[in-house]
Amino acid sequence: MPYSELVKNFGRIRDYLREFYVYGFKSREEYTQKSARSYDDERRRVESWLGDYMRFGKTAEGKNVFLSIDSRVSQRNPLYQAWKAKSFTDGDITLHFYLMDILYEPGTALSLSEIMDELDGRLAGFQQPRLFDESTVRKKLKEYEREGIAVSEKRGRVLYFRRADGKAWEELVGRGVWDCLEFFSEAAPCGVIGSYLLDRKETESGQGNGSRQGNGSGRQSGDRRQSGGRRQSGGRRQNGRQGNGCFAFKHHYITGAMDSEIVCLLLQAMREKRFVALETARGFHGRETVPEAVPLQLRFGVQSGRQYLMAYVPGKRRVRSFRTDNLGTVKLGENCGQFDEYRKIFQGMLPHIWGVSTQGRSGQRLEHVEFTVAYGFHEQHIHWRLVRERQCGTVEQLDEHTSRFQAEVYDASELVPWIRTFLCRIVDIHFSDKKLEEQFGKDLEQMYQMYGLGPEEGEKR
Amino acid sequence: MIFSELYSAYYQTVAAILRKAVRRPLDRGELRRMVEEHAFGESLLQIEPAFREGRWPLLRADGTTPIRHSPTMPLTTLEKQWLNAIWADPRMQLFWPAGECGELEIPFPGIPPLFSPEDVSYFGQYADGDDYGSAVYRRHFTQVLDAVKGRYPLRIAMASGRKQLLHILMQPEYLEYSEKDDKFRVIGFGPRYRETVNVGRIIRCERCGDGEELRGRREVHPMGSVTFTVTDERNALERVLMHFAHFEKQAERVDGKTYQVTVRYHKDDETEMVIRLLSFGPLVKVTAPQHFEELIRERLRSQRHSQVFFQDKPGRER
Repeated sequence: MPYSELVKNFGRIRDYLREFYVYGFKSREEYTQKSARSYDDERRRVESWLGDYMRFGKTAEGKNVFLSIDSRVSQRNPLYQAWKAKSFTDGDITLHFYLMDILYEPGTALSLSEIMDELDGRLAGFQQPRLFDESTVRKKLKEYEREGIAVSEKRGRVLYFRRADGKAWEELVGRGVWDCLEFFSEAAPCGVIGSYLLDRKETESGQGNGSRQGNGSGRQSGDRRQSGGRRQSGGRRQNGRQGNGCFAFKHHYITGAMDSEIVCLLLQAMREKRFVALETARGFHGRETVPEAVPLQLRFGVQSGRQYLMAYVPGKRRVRSFRTDNLGTVKLGENCGQFDEYRKIFQGMLPHIWGVSTQGRSGQRLEHVEFTVAYGFHEQHIHWRLVRERQCGTVEQLDEHTSRFQAEVYDASELVPWIRTFLCRIVDIHFSDKKLEEQFGKDLEQMYQMYGLGPEEGEKR
Repeated sequence: MIFSELYSAYYQTVAAILRKAVRRPLDRGELRRMVEEHAFGESLLQIEPAFREGRWPLLRADGTTPIRHSPTMPLTTLEKQWLNAIWADPRMQLFWPAGECGELEIPFPGIPPLFSPEDVSYFGQYADGDDYGSAVYRRHFTQVLDAVKGRYPLRIAMASGRKQLLHILMQPEYLEYSEKDDKFRVIGFGPRYRETVNVGRIIRCERCGDGEELRGRREVHPMGSVTFTVTDERNALERVLMHFAHFEKQAERVDGKTYQVTVRYHKDDETEMVIRLLSFGPLVKVTAPQHFEELIRERLRSQRHSQVFFQDKPGRER
């Protein structure tokens, strides 16, 4: 097959995008899953879609390619471009524009033979007219019915087709839907769908939306920038922001976009209260097949960038989490009669889940954690920081200079990174899991040593 | 299907080309420019020959088209489902007025939303997020958004962090949302300085004077960078790189288990960067710049001093 910048399955490109964006330190030789040619093709595709963000570095191990994106500066998630690279046949695109045109008028409903006549007439003007057979056109119309853009109705024994009604959308456009799409395409789950809608702003209302600011890299395909080099995007404002939209996003994890297909399926399973079969591609348990699970909720970590599925696994008789980026495939199964019951159980567990873990290593059903921080007269904001960030814990102000946090959770180890953000103020700490407490102390000692802080007051530099 | 050619850059590009061609013949130069503007880096190599060779019989050799209407496509069911889902988000009230009964009416009745509020949740989000249900907040948000779009200055009265009343003249440039804080901030500039105002702290805001765009200093955010090593134990490398994924960054392997990472950040957020790096404990070691390393060391030094701590505390159960 000759190279094409379009792809048939997103799964094929998902791993490469993740490697280039999240990791970005591997050299060509290290991409061993596929052949070298496959790597070259995928790298070329990613460069074609996201050339503005591609960087090239040189290390002792060889040349490496990575994507470097400051999501606070780029107003639109550049990774959405990859979702707009689905391959199709010459017939698909030709039929699409003719069928949408032939059925353009809201009142127009045509039979298949009428559509065929119209289609043949339009194509007859070309030197070597392409002819479509009836079954191909019928198949395409049926596909469009499934997608919701065409509708069929039987009149007598004849099936008539028309375009789906667009009035509600026109009304939304008329009332200014674009601002909220600009926001939710970044802030809501499956935001790529919002990005698809935003693309209509240009093609349907004749207004540019700047969402293609990451494209057009082919014009500079010879411009292989070394790491650190940057090209100013056309829409870049003086303050360094790209594009001219109304919104920017801080602490904005865009990685989840790569899992949109998986997330969409899981949402469907929840909506229809169905079992799923899961296959993980990597992760803590390595390759793992879970033949039966009941998806209960998707949890998004706003400080870790990770997305998790919380699911009841009948085989293990418990609720557990799966990272969506580790899920290779999701297959929808039968309806689950106990869905509501399992979800109720999960909701009852939430007051004791800090992140996503439902089981600690101590073997205790619930683990206790508490720590006390001290602060000065002008540092009352520390107390309020604890209150703001406490999640399922409680905070008590002991006096005007000390506050105590405590929580009963399934897995206290999930709190450790957060507790470390209070280092320099912690005057007391206690975990019911003694091993965890010991590890916390050891880690702290190791940090002192790493930064040259000796065992006593003296410092080694 | 979420991954479908219906939403593809190629279909969008061809729609844009045909939109012009239904009005007047399109020349080759225009076609090329449109492909470069709308599609990907190498799309021209595919799209132009496809038209020229008649594989996509949508444009005649003279640049006209048998297509009669400017191309549009009805919404797919997936798009309607997503729109219905976001309509249930409390933040939607900022953009869309509620109906007579005080609730937002979903735009596509009869179509199940892609997700319901109980299908998704966020963790790590701060508890003092903005009050989207407040009519006053919504009025301020709407005014600011209008000023951003209309490019006119605002006179803002706001409460400072120390509860003092401040008056600011500001040309808003954009609204910045943080999912972690669950807050909107207005970013813009005043006559002398760059300004950032939390929408939630606005007490009053109104269009200023004749509404002419303010000529102030549009400073670029000063940037800093920090370099640190990561020891890949307890899955640290993956956690670190995911955690800092939203920054511009570069990672390279130093040896089998050690990696060096450089992250560029806004200087204003330096304290936040310090505590984020501290959260990884001994698996991350800041190596440059020196002042950043010193910030970490200072915190650890203070910790050592404040540590009456568990292993030293008399009578403490070990």
